[in-house]
Amino acid sequence: MSARRILGGVLDRGVVPLLLTPSLVLLLLILVGPFFYMVGASFTDLSFSIPGRDGNFVGFDNYRRLVRDDPVFWSSFLLTLRFVVWAVAVEFVLGFALALLLYHHVRRRRFLLTGLLVPMMLAPVAVGLIWKLLLQGDFGMLTYYLRAVGVIDLRTALLSSPDLVLATIVAIDVWQWTPFVTLVMLAGLLSLPREPFEAAVMDGARPYQVFRDVTLPLLRPIVALVLLLRGIDAFKEFDKVFILTGGGPGSATELLSIYAYRVNFKNWDLGYGAVCAFMVYLVVLILCSVFYKAAFWGQAQRKRAGGRAA
Amino acid sequence: MKRGWRALAIAVVAAVLVAALTPYLWVFLTSFKTRIDALSGTPVWLFAPTFEHYPQVFLDKGYLPLVWNSVFIAVSTTLLSLGVGTPAAYVLARHDFAGREDLFFFFLTTRMAPPISVVVPMFLLFTALGITDTPLAVILAHSTFNLSLVVWVMRGFFADIPREIDEAAMMDGNTRAGTFLRVLVPLAAPGLAATAILCFILSWNEFLYAFVLAAFESRTLTVGIPGLITPHGTLWGQVAAVAVVATLPIILFTFLVQRHLVRGLTFGAVKG
Repeated sequence: MSARRILGGVLDRGVVPLLLTPSLVLLLLILVGPFFYMVGASFTDLSFSIPGRDGNFVGFDNYRRLVRDDPVFWSSFLLTLRFVVWAVAVEFVLGFALALLLYHHVRRRRFLLTGLLVPMMLAPVAVGLIWKLLLQGDFGMLTYYLRAVGVIDLRTALLSSPDLVLATIVAIDVWQWTPFVTLVMLAGLLSLPREPFEAAVMDGARPYQVFRDVTLPLLRPIVALVLLLRGIDAFKEFDKVFILTGGGPGSATELLSIYAYRVNFKNWDLGYGAVCAFMVYLVVLILCSVFYKAAFWGQAQRKRAGGRAA
Repeated sequence: MKRGWRALAIAVVAAVLVAALTPYLWVFLTSFKTRIDALSGTPVWLFAPTFEHYPQVFLDKGYLPLVWNSVFIAVSTTLLSLGVGTPAAYVLARHDFAGREDLFFFFLTTRMAPPISVVVPMFLLFTALGITDTPLAVILAHSTFNLSLVVWVMRGFFADIPREIDEAAMMDGNTRAGTFLRVLVPLAAPGLAATAILCFILSWNEFLYAFVLAAFESRTLTVGIPGLITPHGTLWGQVAAVAVVATLPIILFTFLVQRHLVRGLTFGAVKG
């Protein structure tokens, strides 16, 4: 082998890291850098609104404040959890039921699926705007019909009622994201291997038993995936609620991202705001690592089951 | 029994379609309504249309440049993410090295990172660099989620191509880089196109980064929407017109990538 070939081979192997590097550099610049900046800022008193607080080191003061002196953060945290649990649960039940119905009883699904895509692909800001228009107290189209059938009384407007507003934003999130659950669950159902079903039917299993003992266990990885993806996204919810209520009335819909936004960009309390932002990050990172395990556990399972290529 | 299910299924499908599409239809109609029709206490479904809101908001109020900002930012972040992410996806799909799975996980966490957490330090950093309120700030910010989308989805598309094809190309005297550029990229072109459209949609729809990093000169269409809503005297016809322009191209694009949508939205974990 000539020296030139060998040199060429070495150079060629060097291409591999070369192809990977730009993406890593970009991420370091725009994500890892800011992340450490945020962690650093969380130990300072940086503020753009209070004179003299220009980033002095304050140790764990901000964290102490978060744990001891900020009930608003914790009530916002609980509110976010309630929002996430309700939204994801309702989306999952409705979306899965619809996917099963489509899978078993509808042949030509294409048209419906195309229509279903509309809510989930709209900009969340536009979704907020659409529902703000529909739910206006004095001329909202939906307000009118809800009053006409007696669901709400004449004085109630859903977005300014402290008791109903959380349920309302949950419902709007359900409107937007149930189609996602349907789409993914339907794809999951279509990817299942046929043999276990045939075997179960041969053994005389009733449809309900087939569902409980065959369908559900086979779908488990995809169920986990959908729940986590939706959970992570719902936990980060900002756009729709920002447009719809801005966190109000009072603080009835002040989710964590809205609260963190207020601390940082309304109060300009950036040191403490970094702690709030960091907490949101931490929760998402934990959910994310669970998602990763679930996704890969699912792939390994499917390989073992020898399922048809999904 | 079977017949009952079918009737039920058709009823449910019809109800779901109505529920999914009516809100959007209502905004579309509102964008053609006069102020009196739009603010009517009883919903008006049939009316004499007016076309005044579109020119009023896009020309008189100067919202037309926002469309250009949205297009420019979305196209740039798409090109940047594809250009940088596709080679990385190829490496992750084809080459084994220590820590590969950790690296892959790292890309995932970047996609999941909550915008509100990233945008605070990013705002401080970009202010220090003097690039807030420029398209560059938003392009970079949107690449945080688009780059990892490209890496995740394209890795799946590359993995779908049989390894024998690489081997044959290398036998023919191609280098690794040559195999990647001349053989694999053309084979993955449909996936690449779908991914590009998804990147475009995600960037076009994004609000928080754009809102914080470029609220004035370089604001995008989504950032322009809240500015039109005031506590008193919101001009709903104009708001609706902006909403229609901000969403209609995306709906058309969505239909183009429908086949790959499940895969894109689950990061390749479920292939639709």
